Amino acid sequence: MRPGTDRRRPRDLLVIVPTFAILFVIVFPVLWMVFTSLRPTTALAARVPWSRYFDGLGFGAYARLFQDSNFAWYIGNSLLISAISTVCTVVLACLAGYALSRYVFRLKRTILLVVLATQLLPFVVLITPIYLFFGELGLLDSYFGLIVVYVAMTLPLAIYLVMGYFNTIPQVLDEAARIDGCSTVGVIFRVVFPIALPGIVTVTVTTFIATWEEYFFASVLMTSDKLKTVQVGLSSFFGEYASDWGMIMAAATVATIPTIVLFSVVQKRLVAGMAAGSVKE
Amino acid sequence: MASPRIGQRPYALTTPALIVIAVLFLVPSVYNVVLAFQKLTPYEPVGDAVWVGLKNFASIFTDPEIGSAAFNTAFWLTAVTVAIRLGLGLGLALLLQSPVLQRWRLRGVARTLVLVPWMVPPVVAVACWKWIFDADTGVLNQFLVDTGLLSEGVPFLAQTSTVWWSVITIIVWRELPFVVVVLMAGLQSIPKEQYEAAAMDSAGRWQSFVHVTLPNLRPVIIVVVLMTVIQTFNNFVYVWLSTGGGPGTYTQVLATQLYSAAFVANSLGEGAAIGIVMTALMAVFALVYLRVTNEREGGRA
Repeated sequence: MRPGTDRRRPRDLLVIVPTFAILFVIVFPVLWMVFTSLRPTTALAARVPWSRYFDGLGFGAYARLFQDSNFAWYIGNSLLISAISTVCTVVLACLAGYALSRYVFRLKRTILLVVLATQLLPFVVLITPIYLFFGELGLLDSYFGLIVVYVAMTLPLAIYLVMGYFNTIPQVLDEAARIDGCSTVGVIFRVVFPIALPGIVTVTVTTFIATWEEYFFASVLMTSDKLKTVQVGLSSFFGEYASDWGMIMAAATVATIPTIVLFSVVQKRLVAGMAAGSVKE
Repeated sequence: MASPRIGQRPYALTTPALIVIAVLFLVPSVYNVVLAFQKLTPYEPVGDAVWVGLKNFASIFTDPEIGSAAFNTAFWLTAVTVAIRLGLGLGLALLLQSPVLQRWRLRGVARTLVLVPWMVPPVVAVACWKWIFDADTGVLNQFLVDTGLLSEGVPFLAQTSTVWWSVITIIVWRELPFVVVVLMAGLQSIPKEQYEAAAMDSAGRWQSFVHVTLPNLRPVIIVVVLMTVIQTFNNFVYVWLSTGGGPGTYTQVLATQLYSAAFVANSLGEGAAIGIVMTALMAVFALVYLRVTNEREGGRA
């Protein structure tokens, strides 16, 4: 910056106007989703002139969503599945991440490579064998089966992230706790975990979002209606209630609320972490 | 680093995670190879599988659909969307870095708004766009008809002339923020001195973009392209939920082909064989890509 060019100038609008025009296009589909969910059915079924677009807004679509469909069930299923998978992933990632961060051992490199390799494997390919195994083991159409898949799916990235956070914590603290008689698991969850908490929160949130958003495995492994997750339930509305866009958009809005809220909580850290990860390499 | 009596402790700590990963990744991957040489439907127990040799591969390779699905996956689904994301992402990252936005204190707002599609689950993204594209009452058609650009509504996702560009719109919209975020970080990591040096050599904006910005972004772009290509190539949800591979089989991609073979045509063996073809294609791509990008890097040094 040359001195004196710091002031705001009319010419700046040449940057500001196009930027916000693009940003409006980017945000529009989400605004339109929420707006549609508030409009009355009659206005959506027929063509309404632009001047009457804001007539009769209300929560009718949400009432239909929760009365006429099993969407409340789907929300319950998703919350349960995502919450349990997230807790399991975070606990397992802390144990493994601690070992990989603190100890030098023979198979360390191999373990890190295996964990990394899983990220290159296409998930779609796993569906046929997993479907068959689960059929044999009676795990199709069960919470437990889908939770196991989600833990496996989210674990590799979680291990890498947790290991990174633990690496930033000085080992002196572990040793002090150990002298006071703390076990290894005690050191992990009573000493290291609380210090790494901001990082752990990021891992927890990204894991929860990833499982909440997952569609493919949920749609193949959960076949009965009462066990559908939010995403699968929403997708089934495309055919079933194809004419009631108000209700579909209400379901879509509800399905988005948790991810938007959680994303906002960790936005800064998440974005910084993502960026650092890609730029470093 | 190592304390004297570690013993089995690191193994004890990593074992639970490794068991989950082995059971859900390694074992199915190996079994997928076995399955590709067998004949089995989703309704039979695993014990009923019959060995059929290379028959599954023979039938997928003689199927004319697999060729078009492979082309659709490589070209429309992956190459086109990655190229557009990279172009738009770079443009947007440069706009958001602009000192003008900082001067007007709009940078924070702009950077949050650009992330919005990323916060939306993919299924919701498809739902939003299906509604916008709707032929009868969708807002896009209504806008185009009212402004006289069209005489009547177009079923964007149901006719061959528009369907790919509509699917591409959905994918680019949802996946653009990631590219913008990474490229912005790349831009921020470029040392200011390089721009100052370029300015001293009286380089214009375009010249400093070509000679300072692009070379510095190169490693970041290489990583972003690799990550987005792998993710997109294997993606199922966008095509499946927006078109179901249709109209007809016009937008069928390998992932939807795999699903259809395994669970619609009930031939798990063929599904497994398509999976192997997909894995092989991605492995070849990753190897060639890394070699080519490394060679150029080496030539530079």
